[in-house]
Amino acid sequence: MKRGMLLAATVSLAAMASAALAEPLKIGAVLSLSGPSATAGEDQRRGIELAVEEINAAGGVLSEPVQLIIEDSGGRVPSALDAAKKLVTVDDVPVVLGEYSSGITIPMGTYVVQEGRIHLNMGSSSGKVRDIGENSFSVIGLDRVSSGYAAQDLYDLGYRKIAVITPNNAFGQGVAQEFNQAFGGLGGEVVSSVLYTEGQTSYRRELQQMDRTQPDAYFYSAYGKEAATINREAFELGLNQTQWYAGYMSMCTSDSQPEYIEGQIGYDLNFIGDNGQAYEAAYQERYGEPFVTSFSGYAYDAAKMIMKAAEHAGSTDPEALRTALTEIGGTGFEGATGTILFDESRQRSKQPYLKQKIVDGKAQAR
Amino acid sequence: MFDFLIHVSIMASLYAVLALSLNLQLGIAGLVNFGQILLFGAGAYGAAFAFSNQLGLAAGIGAGLALAVCVGLLFARLGRGLGGDYWGIATLAVAEACRMLLQTGGDLTGGAQGISGLPPLFEAGSRQDAALMTLGVCLAFLAAVYWLCRSLTHSRYGLSLKILREEPQLAVSLGYNPNALRTQVLVLSSMIAAVGGVIFAHYISFVGPDQIVAAETFLIWAMVIVGGVGNHFGVILGAVLMQFLFAFVPFAKDLLDMPSDYVAAMRLALVGGGLLIFLLWRPQGLVRERIGGGHRGG
Repeated sequence: MKRGMLLAATVSLAAMASAALAEPLKIGAVLSLSGPSATAGEDQRRGIELAVEEINAAGGVLSEPVQLIIEDSGGRVPSALDAAKKLVTVDDVPVVLGEYSSGITIPMGTYVVQEGRIHLNMGSSSGKVRDIGENSFSVIGLDRVSSGYAAQDLYDLGYRKIAVITPNNAFGQGVAQEFNQAFGGLGGEVVSSVLYTEGQTSYRRELQQMDRTQPDAYFYSAYGKEAATINREAFELGLNQTQWYAGYMSMCTSDSQPEYIEGQIGYDLNFIGDNGQAYEAAYQERYGEPFVTSFSGYAYDAAKMIMKAAEHAGSTDPEALRTALTEIGGTGFEGATGTILFDESRQRSKQPYLKQKIVDGKAQAR
Repeated sequence: MFDFLIHVSIMASLYAVLALSLNLQLGIAGLVNFGQILLFGAGAYGAAFAFSNQLGLAAGIGAGLALAVCVGLLFARLGRGLGGDYWGIATLAVAEACRMLLQTGGDLTGGAQGISGLPPLFEAGSRQDAALMTLGVCLAFLAAVYWLCRSLTHSRYGLSLKILREEPQLAVSLGYNPNALRTQVLVLSSMIAAVGGVIFAHYISFVGPDQIVAAETFLIWAMVIVGGVGNHFGVILGAVLMQFLFAFVPFAKDLLDMPSDYVAAMRLALVGGGLLIFLLWRPQGLVRERIGGGHRGG
């Protein structure tokens, strides 16, 4: 009890001391602005910039404008580390946001956490992100959350034999692994699970391989251009007579011809709430197009959340930020992607998804 | 800033080791290896396999070396039936095939999600001390490799490699066995690159298939070409120069107040444009190879 009081006193003293000094909050971000994941990285940049612009227009954090320092990872681990080390040791930021690919997020986050700073993951859904360390938080639901949702949804709809196709990378492998586990756990059967190589001109072989296992529904999660190829070829092969289920509907269907995806069902991030709709409108207005990927929303929420944490803590000190983040995430933070609640290992535990169906070429709620 | 400089120096010395390894093959023996990054990957994955089986650093080095020697021998075996340029393409194909195998390797390799959590080389003391000690190890290793490459090049053995490079038929007529020479060089340079890979894996604590994409091989090539093919000192210079340029591009951005997406473009322009400039106007690189230096000289 005494120790607790002492601790509380020290913490509040420290908070007061740093509030008196009121340094501007510096947010560092390491993003794939070039390289294989540049589309997602660029979209993450948009989300963060929108959030910072909004807060700065409203007077900043701790009465100071927020400084945003974005560095490029080039999609390479060494460059991402260079960038993170620059942010931590030279710019002295208390928090680093990033990256997209879990192969980069994990080593980069590990370094940031070792240095006692805060790491916010907003793009990697690999389950291994959980082990980065004490100061690492995820505003994106890890694979278990999203794939578990899809498995339950498909099972509830009465499907029992599923064929799965996802990209052969950290994202796709994670989705497939978690889906297969969740669906098997419910008592269903995954009759084939195919990993496709990104950038191919045709996926007929993969589709025919899946077709031979006679599934009663297909579950897929694929990137725009490749998803377009898969949808077209599935249509040509007549596979669309069977039900298709899209993980992240907008990502899977944005580049596809309407006639190929008619009747598909799936789930997507929920931008329906007040915050979500405001964000969607702000994004459209600022960049003149609808969402390019689902990832800008997470980036927006990550930036908003850390700024709120700084305001809440009255400090930009990493320790105080961590305490504040844990508190805010414990009671629930209302973000553009829905309520963000952290579990005991600081990962987003729940995520509201939207059940959708394609009717007349457009996604509708179902 | 000091910590950042230590980090960049560690990375630069590791890349310098990889560049020396490639230079031994390409610059001295004339072996056009487009699969260089796989040799590094063998070391990194060796360390990762040892780690995931609860074995220590020594086992990691052992596993890395063993894997790298296997790859080196495979490359050498391919070289028996294929001429120089075709061999280069074959090495690229083998490296990419191995990367895909690692990516779909399931639990053994961690698949695309790789293997994370490798402990750092030194855990005692402050993080800065540990980083300095790591830098010390890297520099010592680089110096040893440089000394090895240099003495090898200036020995009779080095001369035989250069004959193999310039006039393979002359080498045969002089009684050298090109296959044996090629195999020896490949095994040696594989081992050098693999130790670099082991240190790298422990330094960044993570090993994954994205680290061994073909583009990484060409980055090492760029370092060798900029530094000067065939000159060991030049190659180190090339690696250090490129690594520091890479690392300091973001500072130029901050100074000139440029948007962050320019950095990406600037990095690409540095590698591509820099390489082109050197190939067109200074094909011998920063430091030229000394021809006929015999047993002495740079």
